[in-house]
Amino acid sequence: MMTKDKNVLTGSLEDYLETVYELVRDRKFARVKDIARARGVQAGSVSPAMRRLADLGMVQYVQREYIDLTPLGEEHARRILARHRLLTRFFMEILGVSPATAEADACAMEHSLSAESMDHLTRFFEFLQVCPDGRKFLESFHSCPRIQPASEECTLHHRNGHDVVAEQGGQVVSVADLKPGEKGRVTQVAGTGPIRRRLLDMGILPDTTVELERVAPTGDPLWIKFQGTQLSLRRKEAGLVSVVPYQEV
Amino acid sequence: MDSESGPASGVRVALAGNPNAGKTSLFNALTRAHQHVGNYPGVTVERRTGRYTFEGVLYEVIDLPGTYSLTSYSPEERIAQEELLEHRPDVVVAVVDATALKRSLVIVAQLMQLTPNLVLCLNMADEARRSGQKLDTELLSQLLGMPVVETVGHRQEGVESLRRAIHHVAKRRPGPSRLVLGERLDTAIRALEARLVSATVPVERARWDAVKLLENDPEYTRRYLERGGLFAEIVKVAAGERERLEAATGMDITLYMTECHYGFVDGLLREVVLRQPREDARAVSDRIDDIVVNRVLGIPFFLLVMYLVFWVTFRVGEYPMNWLEAGFDALGAWVGRLWPAGSESLLRSLIVDGMIGGVGGVLVFLPNIVLLFLSLTFLEDTGYMARAAFLVDRLMHRFGLHGRSFIPLVTGFGCSIPGIMATRTLENERDRLVTMLVVPLMSCGARLPIWMLLIPAFFPPGWRAPVLWAVYTTGVVLALLFALLLRRSVLAGEEAPFVMELPPYRLPTLRSVLGRAGQRAWLYLRKAGTLILAISVVMWFLLNTPGDVIFSSDDGLVSHAEARETTAAVGGGSEVQNPAERARLEAAERLRNSLAGHIGRLMEPAIAPLGFDWKLGTAMLGAFAAKEVFVAQLGVIYAMGEVDESSEQLRDALRADYSRLTAVSLMLFLLIATPCMATVAVMRRETGGWKWPLLQFFGLTATGYLLALVVYQVGTFLS
Repeated sequence: MMTKDKNVLTGSLEDYLETVYELVRDRKFARVKDIARARGVQAGSVSPAMRRLADLGMVQYVQREYIDLTPLGEEHARRILARHRLLTRFFMEILGVSPATAEADACAMEHSLSAESMDHLTRFFEFLQVCPDGRKFLESFHSCPRIQPASEECTLHHRNGHDVVAEQGGQVVSVADLKPGEKGRVTQVAGTGPIRRRLLDMGILPDTTVELERVAPTGDPLWIKFQGTQLSLRRKEAGLVSVVPYQEV
Repeated sequence: MDSESGPASGVRVALAGNPNAGKTSLFNALTRAHQHVGNYPGVTVERRTGRYTFEGVLYEVIDLPGTYSLTSYSPEERIAQEELLEHRPDVVVAVVDATALKRSLVIVAQLMQLTPNLVLCLNMADEARRSGQKLDTELLSQLLGMPVVETVGHRQEGVESLRRAIHHVAKRRPGPSRLVLGERLDTAIRALEARLVSATVPVERARWDAVKLLENDPEYTRRYLERGGLFAEIVKVAAGERERLEAATGMDITLYMTECHYGFVDGLLREVVLRQPREDARAVSDRIDDIVVNRVLGIPFFLLVMYLVFWVTFRVGEYPMNWLEAGFDALGAWVGRLWPAGSESLLRSLIVDGMIGGVGGVLVFLPNIVLLFLSLTFLEDTGYMARAAFLVDRLMHRFGLHGRSFIPLVTGFGCSIPGIMATRTLENERDRLVTMLVVPLMSCGARLPIWMLLIPAFFPPGWRAPVLWAVYTTGVVLALLFALLLRRSVLAGEEAPFVMELPPYRLPTLRSVLGRAGQRAWLYLRKAGTLILAISVVMWFLLNTPGDVIFSSDDGLVSHAEARETTAAVGGGSEVQNPAERARLEAAERLRNSLAGHIGRLMEPAIAPLGFDWKLGTAMLGAFAAKEVFVAQLGVIYAMGEVDESSEQLRDALRADYSRLTAVSLMLFLLIATPCMATVAVMRRETGGWKWPLLQFFGLTATGYLLALVVYQVGTFLS
């Protein structure tokens, strides 16, 4: 429940302000009956709200019926709108909620969040969109079988509901250094020209998982498994692929 | 059969896709018997074309070499690109292994940049289904903008649907490309594409060229720079775009583009895969591998398998081979009877001795060849070959060869011809050439009669087995050394990365195995057979055309036959009473005075330093046709009539005439030099030219000559 503070915009007032902003943006002025129609309420409910907003210095009556935003009102409105949009997008793009639900929930939530929470949420949102690590994080989230049963990607972390493996602290080795049966996450594929191209084309890309299945009796080549494929790779070529080994949890 | 009715006669279809995706079985299923297998000129890559008719329209199909990607790094890829870009097939079928979708769809993404007329063929659909995988093929078809057909190539399932889909794509107008590589990359490509189009590059090529230039493909970059002007400008623009992309993403362009392609495929699969294949889908296959590639059991098992292949080829093949031999003999006799008995007709001799004898001599190997190919095809189709290559790669690699070189080399112990043909499994052209060139050094079955004749003649019992072993080993060692030498000089170059797929074990259908083996056998018959027939005739001619007719011993050499003849002429009488004996003696004299004999005597100065004389020279000439002929020729020369290698008289005669040192020198020479003409013929066919077979022939002959020379001279000096 929101607390009613006479000097602060209430939730419903913010909504009104948002509507006025949008109407003014589209038509230059907003009339009471336009606001009423946009919000789906009676005209009678609009007027007290407008008077309160005017008291707060957010709007002004240009003529008896026409309402415009003050600079202060505009500033507030923009902020509110941005927050609204952010939340909607957060629900839709990050959490994967359907658009209609996202709208509704964003509307419901936007007034209860403090400025501080909003700020941090915004930064988190930006991180997920902009930083490469964030993007990968987001992708892993979207492909995690716990929310996407059709996904296969994360079987290394989750198998039959158990957390199977976790990464060892950052120690980078080459595939050739793995022990038979050991897995690793690819960090880099070195080399130039056809050899590297071939490795990449087969799907040995950074952030994929590679497992060393066995070594030939003569010590070379190596038999590796990844992405559902099994390949034979000479030690020399395997040395081009750097991995961080996994550790069974 | 091929009706050319219908407006779209000769619709051209290309099959593209990864190796190991069953493309070839699908090609066979589509085209059935109407195929032609050849070579791309100058390279060892196979060119397979065929045709079929559907709803009155003729379709010409070309099976492109299997590739994982369409870069310019290997001849296979270059050829695939060329076929797709220069010859512009009307429809391209992307054949994909349905059990390895993620990796296989990447080439589809690349193909989408090359042409809009695509059909996606999910092959091995039965295995995919069995592994639990479920796909929404409707949706996939929509998202890709092309028909999607599920097939099981080696069981001919889904082939009609495939034909229908091809027909559909051939007729319709293609829609816009559904390939999405990400906004950044797509924008860059489009920008370059626009530039290319305005520089009058044809629209169909522009997209592909843009991608290649952006990728910094060496072939395309070079070509565009060469053209200069506007085109060189574009290369610079591409470089700029590339730098921008690399800076923005922190990845090099190759990685970035691959990631984008995989991203597209990932997104696609996420939408379309209704159920993932089970984790343990490969369980059975993996269990088998635990034994087959075991640290301890792996190599012994491999040796066992090799031995079995040999055994099937030679022991089992012996029966039909003997039948064929008997058959040809009978044929020869039957044809011979068309002339009156004792006839000296040249035509009869030409047909019976020359043609039937010559060609027959080669054709008797047919059962062995067929069995060998059956075994190898079976091993290849089950997937075992890949494991074998995995096991022996290290040794092979030491000598500049490839793991997959092992099988062709081992095959060469039986006969060079299938050995050379078996190199087709080698992807890299250089590896393939090197292997092909050294195969003849693996002492083949045809040389065995020679060893069986010479070794017992010149070595005491205790030495015989070791000497035979030494002969074979020398061949192997030389083969490896030559390979190394070739790899370091003439055929040096970047090694093909040994990145070899290890597919799960599969049980091939009888039909597919027989079909492929039969195809190879037919080719052996046809090509090698025509050339051999021709050369047989030439050899016959040389052997039967008299030089001078007079019996004389003016060259000072005394042979047994001459001695006997002279004795008889002088009146010793008793020795040459037997008319059969006389006939044999006459035959020997005739040989001595034939063109071949003359050539032999002309050769003498050249071969004397090796310890050989004109008789051996003449026999070696015959051995060019087929190595066993050496033994037969010697027999004729020594007037024993028709002999086989267990003939004691011949051995005695040889021992009397030549020293052990000569024998050693002779064996070395025959091991190494003058690969038989069938070998030359097959080399010519497989390499698409004369350069390599001739190089091989002269190289090996020169080496054999030198080694024999050194051995003989040093040996003479030491004794």
